[in-house]
Amino acid sequence: MYKSRWSLSLLIGIIAACSAPGTAIAPSTPALAASAGLNVRPIMSIAAALIAPTELSGLIAQPFSLVRSESGEQRIRQILTSADGGEIMRVESALDGSLRFVAKASVALDGGRLSESAASAHALRHLSRLGLSAPIGGPAVSGAAGRTLVAWSRQVGGVPVLNDGTRVVLNAAGALVGLAIEESPLAAPPSRIARSEAALVAAAALLPSGALLREGPDLAWVLPTDVPAGPFDERTPRSLAWCVTGVLRDGAAFAMQLDAGSLALLGWDVAP
Amino acid sequence: MIGAVLLATAIALAPPDESAAVFANRTAFAEECTGTVNTFPDRLARQARTALAALGWEVGGAVGPAFTRRSLLAGASSAALYVHSHGDLYWDTKANSGVGGFRADAGLCLGAPILLPSEIAVTRRSAPPASLVYISSCHNGERASRLPAAFGIPQRKVQGSNQPRAFYVGYVGSAWQGAALRFERAFWRGLLDGATAGAAFDRALLVSYELEHLTPEWWGGYDHTPYPPTAGAPDFGGRRYV
Repeated sequence: MYKSRWSLSLLIGIIAACSAPGTAIAPSTPALAASAGLNVRPIMSIAAALIAPTELSGLIAQPFSLVRSESGEQRIRQILTSADGGEIMRVESALDGSLRFVAKASVALDGGRLSESAASAHALRHLSRLGLSAPIGGPAVSGAAGRTLVAWSRQVGGVPVLNDGTRVVLNAAGALVGLAIEESPLAAPPSRIARSEAALVAAAALLPSGALLREGPDLAWVLPTDVPAGPFDERTPRSLAWCVTGVLRDGAAFAMQLDAGSLALLGWDVAP
Repeated sequence: MIGAVLLATAIALAPPDESAAVFANRTAFAEECTGTVNTFPDRLARQARTALAALGWEVGGAVGPAFTRRSLLAGASSAALYVHSHGDLYWDTKANSGVGGFRADAGLCLGAPILLPSEIAVTRRSAPPASLVYISSCHNGERASRLPAAFGIPQRKVQGSNQPRAFYVGYVGSAWQGAALRFERAFWRGLLDGATAGAAFDRALLVSYELEHLTPEWWGGYDHTPYPPTAGAPDFGGRRYV
């Protein structure tokens, strides 16, 4: 498996290095990807679902490249630029061809604010337009810097996988700014999960002087955020953990993650 | 002491419009103060320093106890500034209101000096608006924070014509370090890919940080590209598509 993945990566790299930029008239990426045995949806077909036909002409599909996502997944990236080289859109797909990331540049900063129901409806419509299935459950809707973020969290066996799921970012008119789908690898769960009471005792024993526990413990799949041994690589599989939050003596909020089996300290986070 | 001298020398040597400064509070989050190891300040500062240097800036600043009120005020006239520390809507007696600001490190667990927007504004009195200011702390992305104004950046978002050649990033409410690390990494990567500051910010909204842990905000010109004036478009090793 390891060997075949490397062979595939090498093949993609060679093709990406040799390919010339495609255009709206003669995109080269899909043909090259197909010859590499990859099922990559061409960026022009994705753009056609999101950009007005009149604005598509003259856009150039750059040679695709193999990248690693923030969560450590190997992906194929395609970028669409204007004739002067400015980036219009970027798309990332997993090696099996499934769409993982779409980001449009310079989406208008319209005023106003979407209601939660309108934001959800717009997000679902964009997902559907791109051939993506609707995530399970209700999304969390929040705002940041004039954008609306609609997020469906990923759960495995009823336990949330922190930071994973589907996220759609919209402008105030409901236009798509981007979407991202994250599915991190999970470590094997411990053979025996410690009881929540035991987790609370363990967390209390690890508390710094003057700190207080406020919430938890709750089970979650986490990427340990900070540990004495140093930061974890993003590719590290998520571990099942008991999570608690509280406040330090200076009033700053903290979160602590304990291994769900051994109750050893996995990670630590602070809100300064 | 030597660090402070070197910092002052570096800041004095680089012209303000070519210089950037990165400051991070390490002590307040260190094991001796909180009881647990915390590598976030160093990692956040390293990301910022690496990105700003790659964009062509001469980067100074201080991480740890050398980040004092004095060193920050010396570096505040830089055209690009990154700060990671405790932040709040600290009270300014002159303004008689909570105006934002952040704490220095100064080697103190508690009670480190607070840098108020009014002090920074005085330091920058004759300086043009900063090109890029990133305040990685709680609360300084809120409307009430006067830090953007202290750096000459109006609290409005501009796209299209007449954009300010300036970009300010801060966080609304509490900002968790784990989420900030991911968001900031994506923002810097966006800039290094040749994206405008606004596009890099939009792209960073898509990375997998916990939404409840971070509410980023920006002000300035969406299409601003925060490169030093004489550097031109930096060489990104083929990553930029222009």
